[in-house]
Amino acid sequence: MAGEIPPGPPSMGQESIPFWRDGRVLGVLAQIAFVIGFIIVAGWFVSNILNNISSLGSSQFICQDGGFSYRCAFDFMEADAQFDISETPIDYDPSDSYWRALGVGALNTVKVTVLGIIFATILGTLVGIARLSPNWLVSRIALWYVDLLRNTPLVLQLIFLYFSVLLGLPQIDSAIQPLGLPMFISQRGVNLPSFEFMPSFAILMAFIILGIIQAQVLWVILGRQEELTGKESNRLTWAIISFIVVIGIGWIVSSNETNQAVLTPASMRIREFDDFEQIVLNRLDVNQLNDIASDLEEGLITQDQVDEAALKICVLRDAPSETNFTSQLRRADIPYEVKRTTRQDQSTSSFIEGDCEAYVGPTAVIAAERDAMDNIIAATPEDDVVNGGAATMLQLTENPIRLSIPRIEGFNFVGGWKMTAEFTAILLGLILNTAASIAEIVRAGIQSVSKGQTEAARALGLSESQRLRLVILPQALKVIIPPQTSQYLNLAKNSSLALAVAYPDFWNLGNTTINQSGRSIQIILLVMVFYLSISLSVSGVLNWYNRRNQLQER
Amino acid sequence: MERVQKYLNVILNSLKVLIPQRDRMQLDWRRFLGENITYSGWIMAWLAILTWITFSYTTGQLQSAPTGTIVVLMIWGLTVAMTMLAELQKRHTDWTLWMKGNLYNSITNVQVSLLLVLLILAAFRGFYSYAYTNASFADAVPPTEREYETTVEAVAEAGGPNLSRMPANLEFVSPTESITNRAGVVVRETAYILNEDKTVVTVENRDIHTGATWGAVIDNFSNLLIFRYKQPNLVWRVYAVLIFIAVFGVASTFMYRSERLRSSRLLSGVSLFWITSPIIIYQFLLGAGEGGAEAFFGRVSPDNTLGGFLFSVILALMAIVISFPLGVLLALGRRSEVRGIPWWITYPVAGLGMVYLLFTNTPTLLEGARSNFGILLAYWPILIPVVAYGFQRTWEGNVVAAFSTIFIEVWRGIPFITVLFMSIILFPIFLPEGWEVLNMTRVVAGSAMFSAAYLAENVRGGLQAIPRGQYEAADSLGLSNFTKYRLIILPQAIRLVIPAIVGQFIGLFKDTSLVYLVGLFDLLAVANTIASQPDWLGIRTEPYIFLLALYFVCSSAMAWYSRRLERQLGVGQR
Amino acid sequence: MAEAKTLKTTGDNVIVCNEVQKWYGNYHALRGVSMSVRSGEVIVILGPSGSGKSTFIRTLNRLEEHQGGDIIVDGITLSHDVRNIAEIRREVGMVFQQFNLFPHLTVLENITLAPIHVRKWSRERAEEVAMKWLTRVGIPEQADKYPGQLSGGQQQRVAIARTLTMEPKILLFDEPTSALDPEMIKEVLDVMRDLANSGYTILAVTHEMGFARTVADRIIFMDAGQIVEENTPDNFFHNPKEERTKKFLNQILNH
Repeated sequence: MAGEIPPGPPSMGQESIPFWRDGRVLGVLAQIAFVIGFIIVAGWFVSNILNNISSLGSSQFICQDGGFSYRCAFDFMEADAQFDISETPIDYDPSDSYWRALGVGALNTVKVTVLGIIFATILGTLVGIARLSPNWLVSRIALWYVDLLRNTPLVLQLIFLYFSVLLGLPQIDSAIQPLGLPMFISQRGVNLPSFEFMPSFAILMAFIILGIIQAQVLWVILGRQEELTGKESNRLTWAIISFIVVIGIGWIVSSNETNQAVLTPASMRIREFDDFEQIVLNRLDVNQLNDIASDLEEGLITQDQVDEAALKICVLRDAPSETNFTSQLRRADIPYEVKRTTRQDQSTSSFIEGDCEAYVGPTAVIAAERDAMDNIIAATPEDDVVNGGAATMLQLTENPIRLSIPRIEGFNFVGGWKMTAEFTAILLGLILNTAASIAEIVRAGIQSVSKGQTEAARALGLSESQRLRLVILPQALKVIIPPQTSQYLNLAKNSSLALAVAYPDFWNLGNTTINQSGRSIQIILLVMVFYLSISLSVSGVLNWYNRRNQLQER
Repeated sequence: MERVQKYLNVILNSLKVLIPQRDRMQLDWRRFLGENITYSGWIMAWLAILTWITFSYTTGQLQSAPTGTIVVLMIWGLTVAMTMLAELQKRHTDWTLWMKGNLYNSITNVQVSLLLVLLILAAFRGFYSYAYTNASFADAVPPTEREYETTVEAVAEAGGPNLSRMPANLEFVSPTESITNRAGVVVRETAYILNEDKTVVTVENRDIHTGATWGAVIDNFSNLLIFRYKQPNLVWRVYAVLIFIAVFGVASTFMYRSERLRSSRLLSGVSLFWITSPIIIYQFLLGAGEGGAEAFFGRVSPDNTLGGFLFSVILALMAIVISFPLGVLLALGRRSEVRGIPWWITYPVAGLGMVYLLFTNTPTLLEGARSNFGILLAYWPILIPVVAYGFQRTWEGNVVAAFSTIFIEVWRGIPFITVLFMSIILFPIFLPEGWEVLNMTRVVAGSAMFSAAYLAENVRGGLQAIPRGQYEAADSLGLSNFTKYRLIILPQAIRLVIPAIVGQFIGLFKDTSLVYLVGLFDLLAVANTIASQPDWLGIRTEPYIFLLALYFVCSSAMAWYSRRLERQLGVGQR
Repeated sequence: MAEAKTLKTTGDNVIVCNEVQKWYGNYHALRGVSMSVRSGEVIVILGPSGSGKSTFIRTLNRLEEHQGGDIIVDGITLSHDVRNIAEIRREVGMVFQQFNLFPHLTVLENITLAPIHVRKWSRERAEEVAMKWLTRVGIPEQADKYPGQLSGGQQQRVAIARTLTMEPKILLFDEPTSALDPEMIKEVLDVMRDLANSGYTILAVTHEMGFARTVADRIIFMDAGQIVEENTPDNFFHNPKEERTKKFLNQILNH
């Protein structure tokens, strides 16, 4: 008899209950009453909105053909934005549409959020561990940090960072270089060295994947062997060594790639890279290029002479070829000067007009430009043509990754990774603030694992790292992750405070769009959708995680 | 006196450790090295680096601030020696035991402790010289150059220096006055330069301090606190409120402590008053009657008058008070288990709606569609059954729960700053034409909605913590649902979440600093205006530091109070 | 089971259950429970854990909704009718295993809350009756304390006083002594015995065999959501009819 009866439907209430006393009916009636009430209130709001919009004029909903329709609410977004954006991860121009402007803002938000989350997690975890440090001073300082950051408004921290700290830093020409490292901190922000990926990095990437795969295979094979023979085979060391070997091969192979080339006038007679050195030596009349610095100091030559003799380079803005070529020049101590253009044809004509004597770029592009050069020369007024004759193309060697180091050129930094003061302020502010909250979460998480667990692990003879890895962390993470995620969410939402430090994030640009186009309803709708989709997707993932964890607990 | 003696004894006992007793010393150098240094190459490398850092930093500090560093080094050496000897002799006093456990528990920590003390000292010294030694506290910087069309006698009478005794060639040897700050450092030099016929005095001021300019804060102190409420017809209201709160606050403390009044109607009245007091105080500050700020108790508009700290506090208080009932309702709504609308009503309604809209709305949309996306969009009514299915699946037809959940999640999902902009820009669009809404009202409404969503989640947490038995006991006694929640469930749930609500209030109080971005004059907005005052052009850091301190003190005090409340409420509970 | 189905529907039956069914999802918790209780009768329900005895007693004042069969309490049919539910709850008092006192109210407030808000008594009258019952259960001096300050046995006696102050016709006890320390069980059982002797209709789920033997008029033995045996205490303990009963008695009496 057990269990096979399916749950029957409620079989009661044969004797009729007056519906106004029936709990079921009353519930549904209450629901319907609520719906009706809701519709009345919402309807009142909607009718007000419609009234207000029609009295505001139909300008909010003008179509491209000049008509008026709610369907055209977002048509204005296709018009030119007409405002400049200081930081653009993708190409943007004031003549681009509002859509693209907001896209730039969204990318900026994502950029600051992702970086913020990574560094806040690292810093927060460190501070959280410091809170539990056996050293009383360390734990006190961590506590002060947390208290100070959590008991003051974030926006105040941000503008303090921006106006008082970052804008109070030295001018660009006296930028701070901490510990003499190639990084510069100034009023304009922070300039860090960066890795520049050359086209041949794709080949190296293939080798990296190959290396991972073969290291895995080796790991498994050696593991089997260990099981069979029962002897330790140092498989971790072997896997790492073989991985490094594969990557090394990859590095050599990809360094032989010649994706980039430099074009020089035939008159310079450049056949190999060392010829550049010779040319500059001849111009300067010094024996060795590394004497330049000392000769300058002794007054044997002047800075003007050096500038005059420097190799003039043409290159497309932000091209990896620049980093490649200039880093090779720097290694040979050859002075140079870079002229950057926004379009390829501008570079070509500068080369023809003699503004530069070395034209750098991808081999295919340079070859194509060389072939097309005759036509351009024909179209150029004869007086302007300086490098008219046949140009020599020299293949440049390249490494898949080159370090790009920031340098001051005129009033700006060139190369490396530029963090503007605005970006630094919002990023640093978000990191410091969120790290304080994360520190408390991490501390609580670690403390939530009872002392008994540690003792049990020690009693079982687990090593200290095994204890952390296998006993403490899994349990602590279960406590840590849910509140941690909501802190990440907070960080994403708080990034909208970028407005206070003039960083062009999504909300800041949305606000500019409102001011410029006057379409407040549409933009606020877009902003809500943007942030809600971030929030809902993150809380969706969190719910899924919680459900999974709850299942495991049973 | 006794206490002094006690401390002296402790110190003496601790120092006794320094006199080693040979027979008790047990030191195995080899074992010590093996356990602390040589057991791992990594540790040795780390200790070498750390020692190098400590050494170089300490020598650097010795050069820049010898006295302090020497004192620290001596104390450090003494305490380390004390701890070491105590440990070796296994003869700890309270102090050495504490130092062994908390400062010097490993070679790393011995050095880290020294480093940190020196760092703290350096930071403190830097801040001290910025904020005090080199700071100027002078009230206002007069214009850098001022000319008096006056005589020597007039200058002397006006309190200036006696210029009559000056030599004739005053342009070159100008008498100077210098202003020193409280630390005795000259922060400003004033030169009085007389022209040849001794009729015109040119006054030249030179600020020569390198530290903070606290004058900007001191000068604007009342602005920062009450902004335009400085006017005589307004400021008395602030004082009245303060006095009232002080007096009534003390009185109600006694009332709450009194056994006789417990659970009396009077006490509920007092509680109700305190809960609604932000609104009452707000109305009182605005006044009543004609005349505005010209009249003694004239009605003034908050948008023109309220500002500074006063504004921030009132905004936060009003928002939390208004959001409270809303938040509780939302929490109850989200948890409600009222029988939902059955599927056999929802699905047909959704289906009919879809069909109706597909025949009425879609054709018109298709006409106007200009792209494939537009055509796709025209078939939106197909989504209605999908939404209906999701609604039945998630909420089993419970509209109240669905509405509460969506309301809460939407408000929690968007940043506060967008809420503020929304309330300022969009608020009038939601209301009938011609309704004038104060900016203050808009911001309060927006903040209250935002806060209600968070409060609802807090209260929901409290409701979840109430055991089922409480509901069952109330049910079995025949209490109605309303009475059950009013007298049994909510009082317990809210008591549980009071600390969370205080925490939320602290958050709201901090968040109100955002309203300066929508053009309201809160504390931060006033601080920003200082930089554009002619006397204090470009001065931002000092007001910001003052604000940081103010917010820190207020928030910490509230957090401390909340922790105390938590402990107190724990009494008489399960 | 066949015997359990014969209903004694005499005029003074205060509780009549007929084929009561209850499911939790797919789990069949009550499989057709039929029984009746006469006014003034003391019934003890026994059974192994998970047998549905607590569920059954909780359906009687609709803390659990039954999904089949009929329950008539004091002449009122228990159904979705909200007014009937309210009326029944007024007439049926319940004492819980976990006492379920309201921790934020004093003992006196705990007791007077329902009379004031449900029976609409004046505060004076409610407090007077409350003190009478507190005296009856032996702790009048604790009236102004909070439940958290009392021992378990005292709390359960307050809970009983709280129930009695509503002047119910029927008392339900849901394992009232299970959460108590052994030395406190007696004080609660004494109160219950006292109540049984003064004519209340009582349904008690309990594991106290001594109480069942000496106080009950009738013992109902339940297993797997069904009534297995209904008998007088004497017959139940010394001369059980069903095999299942014998097994159960063996297990609890000979450990």
